[in-house]
Amino acid sequence: MIDYQAPLRDMQFILGELAGLPDVTALPDCEEASPDLVAAILEEASKFATGVLAPTNRQGDLEGCRLEGERVIVPDSWQSAYDQFREAGWLGLSLPPEFGGQGLPKLVSTPVWEMWFSSNMAFTMLPQLNVGQAEALLIAASDEQKATWLSKIVSGEWAATMNLTEPQAGSDLAATRMRAEPTGDGDYRLFGQKIYISYGEHELTPNIVHLVLARLPDAPEGVKGLSLFLVPKYRLDADGNPGEKNDVRCISIEHKMGIHGSPTCTLSFGDTEGAVGYLVGEPHQGLKTMFIMMNEARFGVGVQGLALGERAYQSALDYARERVQGRNIVSGEAGQPILYHPDVKRMLVGMRARLLAMRTFLYTAAGWFDIAHHHPDAAVADRHRRYVDLLMPVAKGWCTEVGNELCDEAIQVFGGMGFVEETGVAQLFRDARIITIYEGTTGIQANDLLGRKILREKGATLRELLDDMRACAQAAREDARLTELAEGLEELLEGLAATTDWLLAQGKEQTATLYGGAVPLLYQLGTVVGGWQLVRAAQAAQRQRDAGEGDTDYLDSVIALARFYMATYAPEAASHARVVRDGGQVLAHFPEAGL
Amino acid sequence: MSILVLAEHHDGKLGSATAHAVAAAQAIAQDGGGDIDVLVAGENVGTIAEAAATLDGVAKVRVADAAVYAHQLAEPLGELLAELAGDYSHVLAAASTTGKNVLPRLAALRNVAQLSEIISVESADTFKRPIYAGNAIATVQSDDALKVITVRATAFDAVAGSLQDQGSASIEAVDRVVDNALSSFIGEELAQSDRPELSAAKVVVSGGRGMGSGENFTLLEGIADKLGAAIGASRAAVDAGFVPNDMQVGQTGKIVAPELYIAVGISGAIQHLAGMKDAKVIVAINKDEEAPIFQVVDYGLVGDLFEILPELEQKL
Amino acid sequence: MKVLVAVKRVIDYNVKIRVKSDHSDVDLTNVKMALNPFCEIAVEEAVRLKEKGVASEVVAVTVGPKAAQEQLCTALALGADRAIHVQTDERVESLGAAKALAKVVEGEQPDLVILGKQAIDSDNNQTGQMLAALTGRPQGTFASEVVVEDGKLRVTREIDGGLQTVELVLPAIVTTDLRLNEPRYAKLPDIMKAKKKPLDVKTAEELGVEVGSRLTLVKVEPPAERQGGVKVGSVDELIDKLKNEAKVIS
Repeated sequence: MIDYQAPLRDMQFILGELAGLPDVTALPDCEEASPDLVAAILEEASKFATGVLAPTNRQGDLEGCRLEGERVIVPDSWQSAYDQFREAGWLGLSLPPEFGGQGLPKLVSTPVWEMWFSSNMAFTMLPQLNVGQAEALLIAASDEQKATWLSKIVSGEWAATMNLTEPQAGSDLAATRMRAEPTGDGDYRLFGQKIYISYGEHELTPNIVHLVLARLPDAPEGVKGLSLFLVPKYRLDADGNPGEKNDVRCISIEHKMGIHGSPTCTLSFGDTEGAVGYLVGEPHQGLKTMFIMMNEARFGVGVQGLALGERAYQSALDYARERVQGRNIVSGEAGQPILYHPDVKRMLVGMRARLLAMRTFLYTAAGWFDIAHHHPDAAVADRHRRYVDLLMPVAKGWCTEVGNELCDEAIQVFGGMGFVEETGVAQLFRDARIITIYEGTTGIQANDLLGRKILREKGATLRELLDDMRACAQAAREDARLTELAEGLEELLEGLAATTDWLLAQGKEQTATLYGGAVPLLYQLGTVVGGWQLVRAAQAAQRQRDAGEGDTDYLDSVIALARFYMATYAPEAASHARVVRDGGQVLAHFPEAGL
Repeated sequence: MSILVLAEHHDGKLGSATAHAVAAAQAIAQDGGGDIDVLVAGENVGTIAEAAATLDGVAKVRVADAAVYAHQLAEPLGELLAELAGDYSHVLAAASTTGKNVLPRLAALRNVAQLSEIISVESADTFKRPIYAGNAIATVQSDDALKVITVRATAFDAVAGSLQDQGSASIEAVDRVVDNALSSFIGEELAQSDRPELSAAKVVVSGGRGMGSGENFTLLEGIADKLGAAIGASRAAVDAGFVPNDMQVGQTGKIVAPELYIAVGISGAIQHLAGMKDAKVIVAINKDEEAPIFQVVDYGLVGDLFEILPELEQKL
Repeated sequence: MKVLVAVKRVIDYNVKIRVKSDHSDVDLTNVKMALNPFCEIAVEEAVRLKEKGVASEVVAVTVGPKAAQEQLCTALALGADRAIHVQTDERVESLGAAKALAKVVEGEQPDLVILGKQAIDSDNNQTGQMLAALTGRPQGTFASEVVVEDGKLRVTREIDGGLQTVELVLPAIVTTDLRLNEPRYAKLPDIMKAKKKPLDVKTAEELGVEVGSRLTLVKVEPPAERQGGVKVGSVDELIDKLKNEAKVIS
């Protein structure tokens, strides 16, 4: 059985027809991303994902990581996979050419990273950290720091980590205690402990570069007093090569329910003389840099939801085609695979519908990133920036929750064999469980959506988006074959408009009520956006069909998936809306003693 | 017009595939008529020619006995065949590595197409052959005056022949000695085995990943000895390093079509099935009763191979 | 020395093929296409020869429709220096391909031509041998090792039952077997550079070759499906069935 095959047809269809690859290619600095180059990149990436990363996924899960003294031993196959990944230059995909990257748009890197996550998420967290750190250094590091560190991070010669969390400072970074003391010669010595540091220690690369949030002696209290420091595992010698070991060590690793191949470390800084660190950016501005990165990171986790869901779907589909059990409930025929059981088919079609919705949404949002970054017209760039900001908590929160649902449903398709580890689908379920938690839980995403992205700007961007979505519904109205979809979308939009009006009409005294319904609000918006994207997909499919292009079976299936979503998942939006308004109310007044 | 069959031979013996290729030639002759000649090219191949002369349906054996043909290198042999082919409507060879090496060279020298690995003769100019690793069967017609064909030996029942009997066919020397300055033979490393060659064996016993290790393949040997079988393996077993690649049965390995194929601890990946699904009778032994292999077998036995194999060996 | 590598666009190895309902051919509409696996090995071998300093230039060539340029791009991404596309929309079979390649060989004068031993669509295993015949060059087919030594080529060949080593004078033709090497994955910077490498397009007419097929495809059918048989309960029952029902053992 072939374990993972990148869904290249969906990817190409969405990139070309829905996420605006032709528009992005027309942007300054994005010209290189021609459709045939993008096709070649996706093709070669898919070979790598299938051939190198996917085969190590299960073995990495079984083997896990272990701590031997201060050494962290990662799964055996990681070294070769990492070396191949690095040598093939995939790390630099979207990073700037002046530091050795290829500078391709986010729209191109998104499907490629989706493949990496699908094929082996625990492994992919390692190179993902390099990309995240490179982006942070690009924003905040001095030219000298960039010259020393950045090209090594872009090439993957050295690995990277992000050190934010401390035992008392998880979602609330204001409680950060890590101290950074100036040495007088421009450097700093860091003291303290960081937890949940992915790939905080390993021997896959000759050096590891930690980015660490810490507090300077004169720092104000709270989040405004955090500064960002670069702390290498090995300090560099005069030639810029890893030399003396820095005062950082891994003191334990976590035993987790999933992503076993990714070591989650507790790092202790400054047990003796203090870990030598270098200030990145201005003092006390560390969190600002982190927040700029956060959008990117959250988007990446949303893609993980899609990616794990995709792999779960592929496994479930393969199994449902092979597993013979029971009689066909319609024909009474025996000896048929379980795919012919209507309920199994319902699960599989439902999975595929939501995958198409998520993928179209995420790729479209990736295109918005590129337009926001590169569009010469400031107004156009700004509008797309605001869309990205508004929908980022949905991309993260909704796609990770749905990704979890898909992994869960895949197990259901497998039945008893899904509960047995050998099939590998249980691993996906365990691995997926972290994605609704890290980079801000679904609750935090929902609070961000409600507070910062809707209430603070009085729903302005959301209303703008509603108008865009209405225009889409209107266009669907004009094609008689899509009436049913147009009606479905209109209903979704009416509901969302009503929720928006209601939210904005509430006074300060209703704050508890509103936040009690924040997650259902995020679900409602996610469900609506998913429906919108599928209507767009159906329109594009109809267009291609009318033009006599493409594979008609495929295009028909896209339209049918949109219809199935409207019939099955869209109705959930109304119940989410109900929870937003009424559930929040009850919740706000529910006595604590009743728990 | 007549048909020329290139004889297969190794170590001074006529290769069994020749009798299968002659059978295909007979099927062609039934439609188009004509005599069947066999060409034996090699060095000191007199006894091989005599053996070829005993094959049913062979009218004449032509013998090109010269040092230049010793290892049946494609360059001299292709040229020799191209010269002889003028007398024939068809030139056939078994689809062995020798046949596959030489016949396309002959075809190009004569400016005709070649038909590879035919599995049936529909008429003197129309043949069936597998394409896409056997996932489709093409019926192909050749308009060329000369048809150059390799024959999948397992698809044709061998014609009778005997080393003891005096053959009825005449034996005639071919004097033409082709120059070959292009290629030379350096050496050969042939697997030493008393067992029959995998692609020609009447019985094949194959092990898969379920065997657990290379050592455990010895469990198959006792059974293979009793059945006179060749031992094969699935790609998974090869990939796991249990056994060398030349034991691989499948799309990327050997194609076999024995009378009896016993698959032990093989789940039945499509690639493997492509290599053995033409076996007359297939038996699978596997502990997983849902293994896809059970969907293609004639007899399936669910159970622990480490218990079943010793019992089977003892009771055979 | 100059190495020419011939490559073919074929259906992707992982795609399950479907025969058209009118049995006219296999249905290739909207099917994922890829570089033939044996050709990938051929490209790899050529690139390795270049990396060893044996080859000075690697030229990839294909004969086929416009879309086959994707496979040339793959070859360029894997390390070929430039590419030649003999463009034709005809159904090309081995002899036609060999004739077109022979024309290219005439123009390019490579010291070595490497091809895959067969394409996984037609499974013919002919083109390399035919090219060797048409150009009067020696052939090392089904190669599992290729060494250039003192201006000669030593090729280890996978033959029935083992390995054979032959020595060929150069220029020569080699066709690859599975074990020759394990092809690399293309590197991202090379994929991007591939688009900028020279790709020379010629039509078969311009080359003056007739690439069309001499064979008529009468029909294409799916193979007969094997029906699942019976489960037996014991070794005794199995032996009994094999002896008395199937009559394959005595």
